[in-house]
Amino acid sequence: MTEPARVLHARLHLLDRQVVRESDDRLLCKVDDLEMRPGDRPYVTAILSGPLALGPRLGGLPGWLMTETDRLFRREERPGPYRIEMSLVTEIGSAVRVAGHRQDLALERWLTRNVVGRIPGAAGTEEQGDPESGARDAPEKALRVRERGEDRPDAMRLGGLLGRTVRGPSGEAAGDTVDVRLVQDGPLLAGVHHAFRAAGLLIARRRAGRLFGYERGPGLWRPSLLGALVRRMHGEIRYAEWDQIESLDDEEVRLGVPWERLRSTADL
Amino acid sequence: MKRFLAVTLGILTAFGGFVDIGDLVANAVVGSRFGMSLAWVVVVGIIGICVFAEMSGRIAAVSQRPVFDLVRERMGPRAGLVNLGASFFINVLTLAAEIGGAALALELVTGLNYLLWVPPVALVAWLVMWRVKFETMERVFGLAGLALVVFIVALWQLGPDWGELTTQLVRPPQDEGVPTYLYYAIALLGGAMTPYEVFFFSSGGVEERWTRRDLVTARANVFVGFPLGGVLSLTIAACAATVFMPVAAEPDSLGQMVLPVAQGLGKVGLGVVILGVFAATFGATLETALSSGYSLSQYFGWQWGKYVVPGRAARFHVTVLASVIVATALILTTIDPIKVTEYSLVFSAAALPLTYLPVLMIANDPDYMGEKVNGRFSNVLGSFYMVLLLVVAVAAIPLMIATKAGQ
Repeated sequence: MTEPARVLHARLHLLDRQVVRESDDRLLCKVDDLEMRPGDRPYVTAILSGPLALGPRLGGLPGWLMTETDRLFRREERPGPYRIEMSLVTEIGSAVRVAGHRQDLALERWLTRNVVGRIPGAAGTEEQGDPESGARDAPEKALRVRERGEDRPDAMRLGGLLGRTVRGPSGEAAGDTVDVRLVQDGPLLAGVHHAFRAAGLLIARRRAGRLFGYERGPGLWRPSLLGALVRRMHGEIRYAEWDQIESLDDEEVRLGVPWERLRSTADL
Repeated sequence: MKRFLAVTLGILTAFGGFVDIGDLVANAVVGSRFGMSLAWVVVVGIIGICVFAEMSGRIAAVSQRPVFDLVRERMGPRAGLVNLGASFFINVLTLAAEIGGAALALELVTGLNYLLWVPPVALVAWLVMWRVKFETMERVFGLAGLALVVFIVALWQLGPDWGELTTQLVRPPQDEGVPTYLYYAIALLGGAMTPYEVFFFSSGGVEERWTRRDLVTARANVFVGFPLGGVLSLTIAACAATVFMPVAAEPDSLGQMVLPVAQGLGKVGLGVVILGVFAATFGATLETALSSGYSLSQYFGWQWGKYVVPGRAARFHVTVLASVIVATALILTTIDPIKVTEYSLVFSAAALPLTYLPVLMIANDPDYMGEKVNGRFSNVLGSFYMVLLLVVAVAAIPLMIATKAGQ
């Protein structure tokens, strides 16, 4: 490994992107959230999708409706979202491509079987192009267990790290988390490639929602009017390394060092 | 010939924006009441939609990502959901109006009440979306819509006082209030820049599997289709200004709106114009119905599109079918299709910035675009239009209330 590890901003480069199945370019789902293994050096383990991943990120009434509706139709005790292991990801670009023969989400399968498949001319229903679905029943059951498993309460969700209040060592408000910086130098996943490790948090002085990619270098502040406006709304933006974070709980992030000692995003 | 056929997507999209049922009548109303004094708004609209359609087409060709993907990706799930709710609502309202419009065109031909034509029109539209290939669909209805060019011939035959039309360009009539004038300006701009145009255009680019090599095709579609649509809408206004304004009449139905053509070109012209009206409204039916499927599927990441067989895009086709059913039911309540579009145009004006902002941002993002990012020219125009659209979005609904929708 001579080349430097890849760096991504989770919200900018991963969240809400389209997931595409490598084998046949089928559109599978969105990256509704990312699952992380907590610890000293948390890293991304899976892409989460479906109402149970999107609902909590939406929050409010729409989010609640979405999660509760999904739960009504689930048989599991503690249903979890649709889950795709990070080790299957082959490319992260304008879309996220995944290897393997991932099945569609349940709603698509149900509608194909019970609505669309019954209208004449719907030809080619179900996973016809999929060579491995020959003996359907058994593998489908196996897949279902793996894909739509139970919720994993021990895992952390990246979406939960965004928009949190950040406090300095003495409890003074420092700002809001706007993005999570990921570096691909975590442990090997399934022996294939390195995991994306959470390297630090981008913190904006003022609460103003998303950065739209304008946290990147000034060369990318285009159109300049828009770039300047977004930067102004957020106030100063600094970067806290993971080691500089003292604690993370459901409500807020506590820094181990004062705001002034954090790096400015210009040096990133 | 093949080159020419390659721009039918642009023509179909643009006609759905500029000369669909709401605009056909709105243009005639505006022409008869304000003469040509609102023509500048249409020109502003043409330039605006060209700027953003070009960006969205370029993004679709380079990254294969349609517009609603960008909305969700850059604005996030919450703002994306707000936009989805607004756009979807407008789409279904407009869809209802277009089905009604196509049925009205059939009423003009057959004399049978349009309500009898609504179910068959909706059924045929759905069959087309269910089975006909995207390319065939876009060619047939794009080309048939060109019959509306008869308005240009008719205007020339009517031999209007060109000097009078030119003076109207800069002189609004004195008897109309400023708020009413502004209200119609916003309605025209909203009609020219409706979000479903870029949803449909960029998704159509993906349906046709555009790649970097098709950037020229994408641009040709934009710069042929939208200006043509805009010129037609100006011509309709000019025809109305010539025929109706001197006698202080205001056309309020489709039947009256095509009268200038009958006057200029007789029965043959009337036949052609009704064909054009039918093709344009039917094309807009397809555009809005598919757009509702596109926007919902692209927000949630579902497989969408006509490039796979229907059975492989179940959620998408269920959405399209459900929208058609709801819209048909809505229009069968005998609600006036033309009134429906007037309102939906103004609501869509309020939702414009949420759609065009992410397009502008991503057209500047080298992660997506590589070296095909916006140049300075696109950015200056794009930024200017963002400011304009913000003003329009804020002003749209208050003006609608203040002028009682332009009365």
